[in-house]
Formats: sequence, structure tokens, C-alpha cells
Amino acid sequence: MIIDWYTVIFQIINFLVLVFLLRYFLYGPIIRAMDERERMIVEREQQAESSIREAAAEAESYRSRSETLRKNEDLTMEKARVAADEEKSKLLNAARKEVEQARKRWEDAFEREKESFIVELRLRIGRQACAVARRCLSDLADADLEEIIRNRFVDRLKALPEGEQQKLASALKKAEYKASVSAAFDFPPAAVKDLATMINKLIDADETKLEVRYINNPELVCGLELAAGGHRVAWNIDHYLADVEEQILKGLEQNGNDTEKEEGAGSD
Amino acid sequence: MSISPDQIILFQQGWFTINATIAFTWLLIIILSLGSWLITRRLSSEGTLTRWQNLLEVLISGIKGQIREVSRQEPGPYLPFVGTLFIFIAISNILAIVPGYIPPTSSLSTTAALAICVFVAVPVFGIAQRGILSYLKQYIQPTFFMLPFNLIGEISRTLALAVRLYGNMMSGTIIVAILLTITPIVFPVVMQALGLLTGLIQAYIFAILAMVYIASASKAHQELEKKGER
Repeated sequence: MIIDWYTVIFQIINFLVLVFLLRYFLYGPIIRAMDERERMIVEREQQAESSIREAAAEAESYRSRSETLRKNEDLTMEKARVAADEEKSKLLNAARKEVEQARKRWEDAFEREKESFIVELRLRIGRQACAVARRCLSDLADADLEEIIRNRFVDRLKALPEGEQQKLASALKKAEYKASVSAAFDFPPAAVKDLATMINKLIDADETKLEVRYINNPELVCGLELAAGGHRVAWNIDHYLADVEEQILKGLEQNGNDTEKEEGAGSD
Repeated sequence: MSISPDQIILFQQGWFTINATIAFTWLLIIILSLGSWLITRRLSSEGTLTRWQNLLEVLISGIKGQIREVSRQEPGPYLPFVGTLFIFIAISNILAIVPGYIPPTSSLSTTAALAICVFVAVPVFGIAQRGILSYLKQYIQPTFFMLPFNLIGEISRTLALAVRLYGNMMSGTIIVAILLTITPIVFPVVMQALGLLTGLIQAYIFAILAMVYIASASKAHQELEKKGER
């Protein structure tokens, strides 16, 4: 017989056992592994998609942010320009003020310098003029300048108006007949005595009472000054020197104006 | 020349006999189970796959795809039965190239056993899918008088399944045996190679036919379901 039923039954059992074994060892694990992989791939795809979406959203947000920044740029630049202009004008004003102050200081200093120069010049001119006059008088007329000045001062005292003479007398009285005579040159005691005698005559006072003291004052340059009890009688070359000073100042101003005009023409 | 491996008795103790068919079947069961266990104990779901895992995945995916195509259903419930049919027959036939090995499928007893399994599986899957009454009702379709013809059809296709596989396998073995006596050099090798192809085709045909029968038994139910949905 071709079909052996004993073997058939055995083979059916064998086949069912194989089905069971393969189901347990082959299909189950393989299908689980495949499903797991499929699940992971799907998960990864979803993650990738969500990452792409997030990246796109992020890119969009950056784009809009950069757009806003671009829009704000002009505004910010305008503000910065205005602020810079304000700052510039502020700094310029401060600089101008500083320059003005410096200029003022310089002008003050220049003015002081000028004044001291004028004073010095005046003194020198006075002294020089006196020296020249003294020498001329001595050489040409055999006369003493100081003596002439003293005589002239006495003449002036004599020629004082009545009111002035009384003021001098009351001032001497107030100073207890103590007077001082100042001069830039030497005043010999005899001359001082002569002057005291002449003043006594002028005020009709007791000769013994009046006391005249000589004070050397180089600033007087050329001339005399009698002082008693706050009252002064002076005879000097101040107003001549004032004329000279005025002339010099005029000359200086004229020079300054000419220089400015030349500079202005040069800069044009 | 032995026509069937059933006749090669390896062990006998009273009524208990171990013939070549049973012995080689056990050998196959051991090889398949051990191989599967060795490969599937270290499966990975990510990164690189081993070559064996890849091979098995391709095989299983292929079988699932075929089942899905034939049955138009999810292959899950049918995979162990149909897949084992294909793998068992295919490996059994491929190993025919090994000298001294006699494929169990060249025994009509084995093919009959497989056909009986299919014969039983058809109503089992059919009833599981449709319920017993619905399944039995198909035998009296379209009229009650068709019952004998339906039954004959059921049995004859099982018989055809068994004899087709047996005939192909046995013929292969016998042709090689005959050719060895006529032209012992070169030609039998070609026939052996052809036998490998035939063996794989037969495994495919057997598994696909089994699936077709099972699917036809459970398909009517799905059609009814679809009608109900409409």
C-alpha cells in the first residue's frame, strides 16, 4: 500500500508540532521585531516631522524678528542722529564757552599786562624826560631842575586861591602842624627849611610849631607833593605823562586795527 | 530501488516503528526549530540587522504578502499554518540535494498528512471566521441537492493536493534514480538542479492552494458582512 496510515498519523502530529514550534520560535519574535521597528520608524518620522515643524516655526519667528529689527533700524538711526546732533551742539556750546572764557582770561591778562606796561613806560618816560631836562638845564642854562621845581612849587603854593590856602592851614592845624613833603629827587635840609618858612608865612603860623619831613618817593618821577592831615597839594608832571599815555594808547589801538584788517584781508 | 521512504524501517519495537519518513521529518523539525531559535534569540529592532534576521524577515514578509494578496485579509491568523506548510515543504525539498537524504515529501503518507491537515484547517478557519451554521450552509448552496457535489469537491481537492505534491516529489527522485543508471555523469546534476526549482514551486503551489481553500471558506462571511454594512 502506498499510503501508510501509521506514518500519516505520525506526520500529522509532526506537522502540528512544527507549526507550534515555529509559531513560538520564528513567527512570534520576527513579527514582534518587525512591528517594533515599524513603530520606531513611524515614531522617528513623527519626531522628524515635529522637528521640521518646530524648525520652520523657529525660522519664521527669526524672520519676523529680523523684519522688525530692520524696520526699527531706521527709527533707531534717526534717534541716534538726533541725539548725536544734540550732543554735538552741546559740546560745541561748551567749547565755545570755554574758548570765550579763555579769551576773556587772555584779554584780562593782556589788559593787566598793558596797564603795567603803560605804568612802567610812563615812569621811564617821565624819568628820562626829567633826566634830559635836568641835563639840558644844567648844560645850557647852568640851572638846577630840582631847584627850579622847588621854586615853582613854592610859587604855586603862593598862588593858591584863598579857599585852598585856608583848607591847607586847617589841615596843618588838624595834623598838629606836622607835614610831609615827598619827591623823587633829593631834597636838601636847607630846602626843606626854606619850604617850612614859606608855608609858615603863607598860613601865618608859629615857625617853631611847623615840622616838615622829607619822604623820598620815586613814583612821583618829577615833582613835589605836600601832605598834611589828609590834605594834599601836588605839583608834578602827571598830566603831561597822562597826555603821553593817551598818545601811546591811541597809537597802539591804531596798530591793532591795522593788523586785524591785514589778517582779515589775508584770510579772504 | 525503494519507491517510498516509508518502507525503509530504521527502528521497530512491536507496533512502534520508525521509518525514514518520520526520522527525516524529525530531523527537519530539529533543524528548523533550532535554526529559528538561534536566529531569533538576538533580534534587533534598530540599527543594523544580521544577515540571518534579514533573510527571515524577507521570508516572513513575503509569505505575509502572499497571504494578504490571496485572502484579501490580514495574514495574522493564517501565517503560522500556511507559512509552516511552505517552509516545511520547501526545506524538505531543497535538502534533497544532500546525498543520502530522502525528502519526506516524496512519501505519499507525508503529502496525505499535509493534505488532511489542510482538509481539517479549511472548516476550522471557516467556522472560526463565520460561525458553524453559516459555514455548513455553504454546502447546500445554491440548493440542497448540491450537497453531494460540494462534499465530493471538498474531498477531491484534498486528494488532488496530496497527490500533486507526492507525484512531483516522487517523480523527481525517481527520474534522478533512472538517469543515474543511463547517464551517470553530468545529466543527473542538471536534473537535481531542476528538482530544486520544482521543489520550491511545489511548496509555493501547495501553500497558495491551501490558502485559497481556507480563504474561500471564510470569504462568503466577509461578503455577507459587506452586504450588511451597505
